[in-house]
Amino acid sequence: MIEHLGPQLFNGLVLGAFYAIVALGLSLIMNLTGTINMAHGSFMTLAGYLAYTMVLRKIPFGWALILAPLIAVLVGIIVERTLVRPLYKREPFYSLLMTFGLSLMAEEAFRLIWGPNGVPFSPPGALAGAASLGFMQFPVFRIFIVVVLLIAIAALALFLTRTRFGLRLRAAVQDTEMIAALGTNTQVLYAVNFSLGIFLAGIAGVLAGGMLGLSPTSGNALLMPAFVTVIIGGMGSLFGSIIGGLLVGIAISMTTLFIPAASEVSMYVLMAIVLLVRPRGLFGEEGIFG
Amino acid sequence: MSARKELLLSAAVVVLFAFGPWISPLMHLDVSIVSGVLVIAIAVMSVNLLLGYTGLPAFGNAAYFGLGSYGAALSVKYFQVHFAEAIVIGTVAGLLGGLILAPFLLRRRGIYFGLLSIAFGQVFYFIAYRYTDVTGGEDGMQVPRPPLALANAHVTVSDFGFYYVALAFFVIALIAFRTIARSPFGRTLIAIRQNEPRVRYLGLNTDRFIFVALLISSTMAGLSGALSGLLINFAFPLQLDWHQSGYFVLSMILGGAGTVWGSLVGAFIYVIGNDIISTITSWWQIFLGALFVACVLFFPRGILGTLQALGRRAPQAFDDDDDDDVNAAFDPNAPVEVGRGV
Repeated sequence: MIEHLGPQLFNGLVLGAFYAIVALGLSLIMNLTGTINMAHGSFMTLAGYLAYTMVLRKIPFGWALILAPLIAVLVGIIVERTLVRPLYKREPFYSLLMTFGLSLMAEEAFRLIWGPNGVPFSPPGALAGAASLGFMQFPVFRIFIVVVLLIAIAALALFLTRTRFGLRLRAAVQDTEMIAALGTNTQVLYAVNFSLGIFLAGIAGVLAGGMLGLSPTSGNALLMPAFVTVIIGGMGSLFGSIIGGLLVGIAISMTTLFIPAASEVSMYVLMAIVLLVRPRGLFGEEGIFG
Repeated sequence: MSARKELLLSAAVVVLFAFGPWISPLMHLDVSIVSGVLVIAIAVMSVNLLLGYTGLPAFGNAAYFGLGSYGAALSVKYFQVHFAEAIVIGTVAGLLGGLILAPFLLRRRGIYFGLLSIAFGQVFYFIAYRYTDVTGGEDGMQVPRPPLALANAHVTVSDFGFYYVALAFFVIALIAFRTIARSPFGRTLIAIRQNEPRVRYLGLNTDRFIFVALLISSTMAGLSGALSGLLINFAFPLQLDWHQSGYFVLSMILGGAGTVWGSLVGAFIYVIGNDIISTITSWWQIFLGALFVACVLFFPRGILGTLQALGRRAPQAFDDDDDDDVNAAFDPNAPVEVGRGV
């Protein structure tokens, strides 16, 4: 049992990195516009399937990892401008309901296009196999995943803190009316912000397809842990999403090792404990979203 | 609508439904489908109380619904209880689910409440999914409908008989719902939706009001689940899933959020529509999804909400009942501060 501890901990971190990046996308969209994007998982699945098709057509995996999320972003922008945008002025639960409907439609569409069952989508030869770190063996693809996700998170952090656009985005989260009055086109902010969230989801979708398999519902399977991540980390806090994701990933991998029957329920227990101790989540700010 | 007109109209609807087993064949519907409408309408009411009246995004009511279904099915399977007892046990299971989750849900409002409802509701889904030995896991559990114990005789409940059980519970639930909605308690819930801080300043403990609303809602959902499980003789994990909660919310919006009869209208469209579409095409999920999108974008007031708004504008239909204002906060044109979850 104990010799599995190291690899399992690593698996937990990989899983946690997925949850974190999905939760980051969700949080970005939620923080600015109050939209809970239930179709987030569908965008992940879409990117995963697109990458799968590209690799089938002999496009290198590295290109697919960039192109597939970009196409998902294109779809995302169209959806945001036509369907989500009219709901910004309404109660937030309307957009939750609408995106839920979108995810139902997307799921059926995936089934029609790529078949009802999962498709085999394995990482390219260079990324297959295992690497030895001296004291234990790691699958190369999982190390690759961690590196890519870390780069994505770092790039997002730099974008939000070091560019003018990121500055405006953060200001808009605090006070949209003020930033609009100061002459920023908030509609552009909304669209770019939504795209950022979808892009992160797309990258996670391609990588998750290679690690966890690809089926019409595979993206939605990551959605619920991502929600729990957002709640644990605290709504309104991007840093919280990262820490929350890692905590959830480790909690799941550890219970899988020691109490397999409780592996799904463990993250909810963690969430309940965090909420009892800190109702706003670990890094959430009081007052945001009630 | 005046009180007398409303009473007459309500009586007419109930009488119409009393002849359901004879009317439904004319519409090529099985009587148990119409029973399903009445049963689901109770669950939609439970969502309506929280979301339509109190303004809390109740996206977790399937948990209580499924607990009701599993409560009834497990008690029949393992303890051989009879029909009426199974309904009571299922209903209490829903109430207990509400009691367990309330301390967590009460801590947050707005979309945060919605997220918590979804997430905590999934716990029950995974328990039913995981503990295969007891619950049958993913396949669910098939349990034949237990007999009704009367004095010293055991009466089998046929689909025909079940219809009237469902109708009776629906009428009771509707009267209870209407009474609650128009009581000072119900008015306070509406006030909480419109402006919770102001209600607090008036000296009311809003947490306590929401707590009671949650318990009423979970009890109603539990009752609906118990009846639903006994109707189809089946309990399965998807009854607990958040998708199911979403269908309840959609039905509520379709019928008209914050209206007394909207739950029946919404449940009718959802159950019958689903039945018809799924027999025509295997792509029913696309149609259902499109219904969500279209309803939210173009028809957010639902059928009864729209009718009420029309009635209010017509000068001859003078309104002595201010209950219609319930829909005011759902007015898509009403200004809401952008960028902040309420």
